[in-house]
Amino acid sequence: MNLAPTPEQEDFRRSLRRFADDHFDAKSVRRWMAGDMGFDPVLWRKMGAELGLQAIWIPEAYGGHGFGFVELGIALEELGRRLAGGPFLASAVLGAGAILNAGCEERKRALLPGIASGETIACLAVSEPDGCWEPGALATEARAADGGWRLDGVKSFVLDGHVADLVVVAARLPGTGGEEGIALFTVPGDAPGLSRTLLPSLDETRKQARLALDGVQAEPLGEPGRDGPALVKTLDQAAIALACEMVGAAQLVLDVSVEYAKTRVQFGRPIGSFQAIKHKCAEMLLSVETARSAATYAARTAALDSGEVPIVASLAKAHCAEAFFHCAAECLQIHGGIAFTWEHDAHLYLKRAKSSDLLLGDATFHRERLARRIVL
Amino acid sequence: MRPDHALPDSPEIDLGPRARAFRAELRAWLAENRPDPAAASESPGAVRGSAALEAWGEKLRRAGYLCITWPEAYGGRGLSGVEVAVMNEEFARAGVPRVTRGMGESLVAPAIIVHGTEEQKARLLPRILSGEDRYCQGFSEPNAGSDLASLETRGVVEGDELVVTGQKVWTSWYWDATMLFCLCRTDPGASKHGGISYVLIPIRQADGSPNGVTFRPIRQITGQKHFAETFLEGARAPLTNVIGGLGNGWAVTRTTLGNERGGSATTQHTAFAAEFWKLVDALRARGRTGDPVVRQQLAWAYTQVELMRFQGLRLISSVATGGDPDASASIHKMFWSEYARRFGEIAMNLLGAEAMIRDDDGRLSRWQASFLGSRSHTIWGGTAEIQRNIVGERVLGLPREPEA
Repeated sequence: MNLAPTPEQEDFRRSLRRFADDHFDAKSVRRWMAGDMGFDPVLWRKMGAELGLQAIWIPEAYGGHGFGFVELGIALEELGRRLAGGPFLASAVLGAGAILNAGCEERKRALLPGIASGETIACLAVSEPDGCWEPGALATEARAADGGWRLDGVKSFVLDGHVADLVVVAARLPGTGGEEGIALFTVPGDAPGLSRTLLPSLDETRKQARLALDGVQAEPLGEPGRDGPALVKTLDQAAIALACEMVGAAQLVLDVSVEYAKTRVQFGRPIGSFQAIKHKCAEMLLSVETARSAATYAARTAALDSGEVPIVASLAKAHCAEAFFHCAAECLQIHGGIAFTWEHDAHLYLKRAKSSDLLLGDATFHRERLARRIVL
Repeated sequence: MRPDHALPDSPEIDLGPRARAFRAELRAWLAENRPDPAAASESPGAVRGSAALEAWGEKLRRAGYLCITWPEAYGGRGLSGVEVAVMNEEFARAGVPRVTRGMGESLVAPAIIVHGTEEQKARLLPRILSGEDRYCQGFSEPNAGSDLASLETRGVVEGDELVVTGQKVWTSWYWDATMLFCLCRTDPGASKHGGISYVLIPIRQADGSPNGVTFRPIRQITGQKHFAETFLEGARAPLTNVIGGLGNGWAVTRTTLGNERGGSATTQHTAFAAEFWKLVDALRARGRTGDPVVRQQLAWAYTQVELMRFQGLRLISSVATGGDPDASASIHKMFWSEYARRFGEIAMNLLGAEAMIRDDDGRLSRWQASFLGSRSHTIWGGTAEIQRNIVGERVLGLPREPEA
């Protein structure tokens, strides 16, 4: 293992950045955020056709490109810079991850190629109205009926749940508690008994939905009742993926702030020559650099499927979230009044930062998990 | 971080074929050669200590394991920060102390190697390597701290000597030193940064008599006396001890900062990790680790130590593939020094009332010492504020503050 990117990974990053700069400009991002879908389906298909992004992490046996988690992390970072990607995190990371980790061979062969090509948009429904990402807190119930399975419960804060073609639902068997009895199922987005409501999210660049399941017919991914570890692993991987995404966004707000500090003149000199501003920028760089180290290391451990993943995932999620928020908040402060306006992009990053902190469990939640995982 | 608890192993970093070969060489040598157990208990990096440590240092010198970043021509091995990192890792793994020649090795020698004449290299470097010359630093002055270039100590040429008069402060390792590397103003008419010279002053004359250098130890907030004020009263150094020529001292100080080039990147966190787990043990013994507030703070501290490890791994990975470690030096200093300070505070807070009381023998407890001692880390070697200026200006390219 080496934490420096390979020349191939550098090339990959460059071509992704070009694509993101060309297609995910602020104007487009604002147009999509004003709509219900939150993205452009034509561009989503282009992401698949030109870059094969949705396929990046899925093994070749299931129609993917079989790159590792490191490349996935690079993709997320570059998309994160631009608050872009539509349902990429929901489909290519959370949905695909749950299927990869829990699915039996047959179901993986059936479901993953569609996600890899971008034709199927998947999502993962774990959290419920109480907003807890702890598998033990699941209340949605799966009962065996008519030789199949039916799900009852309410899911909330489901990324892109309102547009997904395929919903992976985390539920539990009747009479079970804690991490016992957890089961992962798939449900078509238009299944009878499934009602989906788009939530008015604070971060409008990332859509969330509430899904009510009323006796919805569902197909198991693996072995109902034994999917707890697969769900935990999926959430750990997602935490690392989100950490990578946050690093990209944090770097961008740092870059923008430094540029502004160099050019904005007050009292006859660039504000970046004042220590008050210069020191803020230095502290932002420290946040970005440590966040990058955490996310890079975490992505490497995920690529190796190392035993360190559970610890590093929570560590990286908590730290990168705080680092990103720090940078987004200082970006607003350094820009001053102009950044409090709707037309300036600083608020988009501030909202993304706070939402990303709360998504998949906030920093306090992850530090408690970390404490448990280092046997405190 | 690998504590005494069962945590999963971290994958090893691959630093390339040269580092791999050096690691294998070191492991083989360390398997055959062990220090006297008395030496092993001493602090790593000590310049001089017990006879056992001296003997171990001599053994390392003969084997070519001292000053390994120096060019081969001057007794080094021409290795990079990557191999220093490997060496630190392997010595730590073997549980044996690494011996260095202190500031002579890491600060003075690079200045001589870059700016010195052939005569100076041939004369001065072997004396550092052998341990005969042991250096302490005469840079800061009572009125020249962060603004080092405003220093007032005067150097006057008399014949083939430089006669130095003035006062220095914060001189560490003074009790063991034989030489002072010193900045003085030799051309009062020149610009602020212009008239400064970098000179190596013997603390005693060749016959052992005083050379006008006296130290007055300073008692620190910890009660210890690790620093001294240094008084120079007509201290004499041959002009052949001026490095880089008269008036060129400022440029010479710049090179002294680039010392081990990332060599401590992969091992520095280990001391912080050990300290962290000691605090965990102390809190466990008091039944406090179930408290959610305590757990949050411990998890935060653990995170910072791990971040230090990840930063180090990323830095050394970059150096191994040709990256420049200097750009990140200030970021690194900001991070570890401010963490150390915060950790000291956390330890005091979590221990509560008992942290108000010293040990039975009246000495500072471990946690009091850590709390107080860490306050110096954001001051020495460039304050936290100066580090932010350096990061802002040299890394981010922000405009400098206009000169007053």
